[in-house]
Amino acid sequence: MTVAKEYASFELMAAAGARELKDGEIVAVGLGLPVVAAFLAKASHAPNITILLELGVVDPEPLEIGVHGLSDPRIWYRAKIHASFVDMLGAVLHRGLVDVGFLGGLEIDAYGNLNTTLLGDPKGKFRRFTGSGGGNDIASSARRTVMIMRHDARKLNEAVSFITSPGYLRGDGERSALGLTGGPSRVITDKAVLGFDPESKRMKIESIHPDTSLEDVLENMNFKPIVPDDLPITEPPTEEQVRLIREEIDPKGNYA
Amino acid sequence: MTKVTTLSEAVASIPQGAHVALSGFATARCAMAFAHEVIRQDLKELTVSQCVGAMDADILAGAGVLSRIIYGGGSRGRTGQHFCLNRAIEQGTIIAEEYSSLSMAFRYLAGSLGLPFIPIRSLQGSDILKHVQEVAPDTTGTITDPFTGDDWLVLKPLSPDVAVVQVQVADEEGNAQILGPRWENEEQVKASKRTIVITERLVSTEMIRREPDRTLVSGFRVSHVVQLPFAAHPSSVFQAYDFDEAHIDLYAKASKTAEGFQTYLDQYVYGVKDHWEYLEKVGGMQHLNSLIADPLLGY
Repeated sequence: MTVAKEYASFELMAAAGARELKDGEIVAVGLGLPVVAAFLAKASHAPNITILLELGVVDPEPLEIGVHGLSDPRIWYRAKIHASFVDMLGAVLHRGLVDVGFLGGLEIDAYGNLNTTLLGDPKGKFRRFTGSGGGNDIASSARRTVMIMRHDARKLNEAVSFITSPGYLRGDGERSALGLTGGPSRVITDKAVLGFDPESKRMKIESIHPDTSLEDVLENMNFKPIVPDDLPITEPPTEEQVRLIREEIDPKGNYA
Repeated sequence: MTKVTTLSEAVASIPQGAHVALSGFATARCAMAFAHEVIRQDLKELTVSQCVGAMDADILAGAGVLSRIIYGGGSRGRTGQHFCLNRAIEQGTIIAEEYSSLSMAFRYLAGSLGLPFIPIRSLQGSDILKHVQEVAPDTTGTITDPFTGDDWLVLKPLSPDVAVVQVQVADEEGNAQILGPRWENEEQVKASKRTIVITERLVSTEMIRREPDRTLVSGFRVSHVVQLPFAAHPSSVFQAYDFDEAHIDLYAKASKTAEGFQTYLDQYVYGVKDHWEYLEKVGGMQHLNSLIADPLLGY
């Protein structure tokens, strides 16, 4: 595996996201970069993962991923099953069979709670965004959740302004007390890969990306994550992964 | 008995203030021709429900038709937010009862099965639940599982007055087939008091009987059948036509402001007499022909 000589930030994020998926797992995929990461995993180290799209699509093999997110028929191509929400989010996810939920986010906090509903502006007015879709359902019922988002101090806060999808809530067993198992396992940004401390459930840096520094990572967060003594560098994408993204998964560069 | 009628008669059967479940998902199988006619007939105070916000709900919200939306959030993917819906919610002109995709699907499912409530794991610990408890306090509750003693969040069923479902194929009785993923359309139809079917193609009942495993909507649930081509334009209909990217971009830009949206309405909804004139306006047969789906790809 040759490391790619040049790659875009989103390609490194997709590769880091793909790495979180193990072969054979069932993956519920949300809107945005998670789609690229899931198809990258399937095209490389995890050919036997089953990709689910919430609206009722199982294991598609698209020729291109399209621009309209999950509602774009390009992403339904060659699926094994065309079904429904009740089938996907009900009989697979709510039933407890989804190994990994893969979500994009607008804002996330120290305990992995995700906001995709609204953001406040400096004038105290709120702007509405997408809301939940299947995001809340996936974060509530998947065995673990991986999230991909921009590394931006306005989006990485001690507490989110609106909990759309629950992480560990305020820590201290608050999530499991509600009967929710699972929870966030990784947050992949354009500067670092973060995880969660098994005890406190607070966010913890796992690795920082090449060409960035710990200072840069911390300066662009609005809370203090746990910083381990030994801090590895995130593995960059391989040449083959970059080729797969550019030539096979997103040939029209919709995500570039 | 034939239920085939005109779009204008089907829309005229809906009273002011009704709860209408719409079949769209973001930019797919949106009941656009239906929504345009609702706007032209000046229906008011409607409640609209669907799992994921779609272009049919957005245009109704922009035109001031809605007083309430019951949905699970949603956007047009990379072409942006549902600006009309978001603006109306931010300005408080419509009340948003906002859940998640599965909670909406479960509410329809409970309605379709005639159940009094349905337990769900979703929403717990979230601000979505807190918000719903404020704007619609009678739709959630808790119950103790009599078998295990566990506590569960429960949701109230949804029973819309009418489901409006955009399909590919139906017969004159309303037996209808949906090709491709069907999101929550089957549960919407089964939970609603009656259904209006908008179909791209009208076929004989004999054709329905040849592929009965594809039939999702039973004729006995249907009050009106309307056949119109490209009735979901600019959204897509799997195996019939692709979305119209240029027109969706035009809609996205126009709907960013209330003024821009009004211009869009004046041009494409109020400025045309009916769906046929709309199809001419958006480019006519030559343009629409370029959207027809490749049967292998489905788009």
